[in-house]
Amino acid sequence: MALLTLKDATIKFGGLTAVNKVSFDIEKGDLFGLIGPNGAGKTTCFNLITGVYEPTSGDIDFLGTRICGMAPNKIAEIGICRTFQNIRLFGTLSALENVMVGAYLRHKTSLLGGFMLTPAVIKETAELRKKAMELLSVVNLTDIAHSRACDLSYGKQRRLEIARAMATDPKLILLDEPAAGMNPQEKDELRDVVFKIRDDYEKTVLLIEHDMKFVMGLCEKIVVLDHGEEIAYGDPSEIRNNPKVIEAYLGEPV
Amino acid sequence: MSLSKILGTRVLSVVLAIAFCFGLDAFVTGQLNEYVVRLVMLAGLYVTLSVSLNLINGITGQFSIGHAAFYMVGAYSAGIVSNAIYKTQPLAAPAYMIISMLIGAVFAAIAGLIVGMPSLRLKGDYLAIVTLGFGEIIRIIVLNQNQWGGSYGYAIAPKYQAGWLIWLLAIICIATCRNLLKSAHGLAFLAVREDEIAAQAMGVNVTKTKVVAFIVGAAFAGAAGALFGHMESFINPDLFKMEVSFLVLTMVVLGGSGSITGSVLAGATLFILPELPRIVSFKMSLGLLLSVLVGIGVLVWMNRKFMEKYHEPDKLKRTLVVAGANIGLAVLAVVVGKLLNNIPQFGTTTYDANKIRYMILAVVLLVIMLLKPTGLLGHHEFSWDWVKRVLNRNKAGEASA
Ligand SMILES: Nc1ncnc2c1ncn2[C@@H]1O[C@H](COP(=O)(O)OP(=O)(O)OP(=O)(O)O)[C@@H](O)[C@H]1O
Ligand SMILES: [Mg+2]
Repeated sequence: MALLTLKDATIKFGGLTAVNKVSFDIEKGDLFGLIGPNGAGKTTCFNLITGVYEPTSGDIDFLGTRICGMAPNKIAEIGICRTFQNIRLFGTLSALENVMVGAYLRHKTSLLGGFMLTPAVIKETAELRKKAMELLSVVNLTDIAHSRACDLSYGKQRRLEIARAMATDPKLILLDEPAAGMNPQEKDELRDVVFKIRDDYEKTVLLIEHDMKFVMGLCEKIVVLDHGEEIAYGDPSEIRNNPKVIEAYLGEPV
Repeated sequence: MSLSKILGTRVLSVVLAIAFCFGLDAFVTGQLNEYVVRLVMLAGLYVTLSVSLNLINGITGQFSIGHAAFYMVGAYSAGIVSNAIYKTQPLAAPAYMIISMLIGAVFAAIAGLIVGMPSLRLKGDYLAIVTLGFGEIIRIIVLNQNQWGGSYGYAIAPKYQAGWLIWLLAIICIATCRNLLKSAHGLAFLAVREDEIAAQAMGVNVTKTKVVAFIVGAAFAGAAGALFGHMESFINPDLFKMEVSFLVLTMVVLGGSGSITGSVLAGATLFILPELPRIVSFKMSLGLLLSVLVGIGVLVWMNRKFMEKYHEPDKLKRTLVVAGANIGLAVLAVVVGKLLNNIPQFGTTTYDANKIRYMILAVVLLVIMLLKPTGLLGHHEFSWDWVKRVLNRNKAGEASA
C-alpha cells in the first residue's frame, strides 16, 4: 500500500482551479520531487495534504485513511509534517525552542501537570530538549541553539524549519523549496541533510524545488505541475527529456 | 535534578510562600494604617489580574482587553453565593474565603470559556473588540439586575480582608504561569502566539491552547474578584468599568507582553493610579506630571545609545538633539500645564488628580511604546542566573577598571 495517495485532488478558489485532478502515489522511502513553474499549484498541493485546505473534490489518503477535512494538527499527529516556503518560524523563540515545539507533539504528560511542573513534566521537558538538540546537530545548527530564530540567516532558518518538522517524528516530511536563498555550499550541505533524513531516519520525503540541478540530483521520482494540472511523472531522466515539461517549465533540456 | 531534590525545593517554596503571605498580613495589619493595608491588598489583587491577563495576552498572544469582566464575574458570583450559603455553612470566615475564591474562579472560568470561543475565529483587533464588548455586556447586565442592587451596589457578607489569601493567590498565579513556561507545555502557548498556522502544522492543538489560556486566565481574575468582593463587602458595577480593563492591559503591555516579571512589577505599582485622587492633593498631581516628564527625560537619555548608533555621528549635534528633546518636552509640559489651567472645568486653582491620572498613564504608555515597543522587560524574566550574570559582569568590570 502506498504511503500517500492523491486521487484527482482538486481545489478551486472562486473561479481559479489551483490544483486540478492531481493524482500520484508516494511509497514509503521515496525521495519524491514536485516541480513546476511559479503559480503551478505546488504549495497549494502541500496545503491540501497537510489539511490547511480541504479539496473541493478528490481524495487524499495517508496509510489507507482518508485525511481530507482533518485538522492540520491531527494530520501532523498521524505523521505528516512540513516546512513553509515563506519561512514560518516562531520568531522570538530560540532555535532550540522552535525544534522543541515540534518534539512536543509526542508529549505524554498532561497540561495540568505542566501548570504544576510535576517531576514527570520536568523529566519529559529535558528529554524533549535533548531530542531537539540532536536534531539541531543533524542540520548543523548546534552552535546557534540559543539564538532567536528571527536573528538567523535565511539558510539557517530553512534548516531550522527542517529540524522542527523532523522533531514531530513524521513518516512523511514535506519540504517547500528548502534550497531557496541558499548558496551552492549550503545547497550541498542541504542535499546531505535530505539524504540523511531519508536513509538514516527512514523518512519519506516530498519536496518542492526550483533548482533543477538540486532536484535532479536528489529525487528519484518527480511529478510536474503546470497551471494546476499534472503534466508529467517519472524519474529525473524521463522528466528532463519530456517535451511537455521542456515547453512548460525547463525551457531547454538540462 | 533528582526527584527528591525537586520535591524538596517544591515543599520549601510552598512553605516559604505561605509564611511570606501570613507574615506580610501580620505585618501590615499590625503596623500600618487601614488605608495602607488596603493598598497592599489591592497591589496583590492587581498582580493577580495582570499576571493572569499576561497568560492570555502576552504568552498566548490573544489580544483580550476585557479582563475586568472576569474580575466582576468572580466578585458578583462569589458574593451572591456567599450571601446565600455563608450563614448555613460550618466554616469560619478565614477558611470560608478559600471556598468563596474557588466559586469566583469557577464562574469566571465559565465566562472565560464563553469569551474564549470567538478567539478561535477572530484575531487581533477583532478579538479585542469582542472581549471589550463582552466586558461591557456583563457590566450592563448586572447594572440592570435589581436583585443584585443594580447601579446602587450589592452588599456581600461576610466582610473579610483576607490579605494573606490575596497574596497567596498572587503567588499561586505567578507560580502557575512560571511553571507553564518552564515546561514544554508552555512552548505550545508561545508557539500559538508566534504563528498559529505553523503551530498547528507542528501538531499543536491551537483550539485547546487558546481556550485553556482564556479559562485559566479568567479563573485567576475571578478568584481575585471574589476576594475583592469580600474585602470591600459592597460592590457596584462601576468598580469594574472598562478603565479597570485598560489599567490591567497597560500593566501587561508596560511590563513587557509575555514577561511574568514585568506583569508583577507593573501590577504592583500601577494599581496605585486609581487610588491617586485619595492619596495626592490636587497640587501634588502637578508634581507627579512633572516627575513623569523627568522620567521621560531619563528615558530619552537612556536612549542616547540608540541615537549614537543610528542618528548622528557628530557628537555635538547629538548632544544638541538630546538636549533639544528634553527642553522640548519641558516646554511642552509648561504649555500643557498652562492650557489645562485655562480649561474651565479644571478650575483656575486646582488640577483634578482624578482626571490627570489618565493623562499621566497615556503619556507614560506613549513614551514607552515609542522608546521600547516590547515593554520595559521585553520578553525577559527574572531569574537567579540572571542576577549572577549581572553580578559577575560588575565584578569583571571592577577588575578591569
Ligand atoms: N488561498 C488562496 N486563495 C486564492 N488563490 C490562491 C490561494 N492559494 C493559492 N492561490 C493561487 O493558486 C495558485 C497556485 O499557487 P501556489 O502557491 O500553489 O503556487 P506554487 O506552485 O507554489 O508557486 P511558487 O513556485 O511561486 O511557490 C496561484 O495562482 C495562487 O495565487
Ligand atoms: Mg510555492
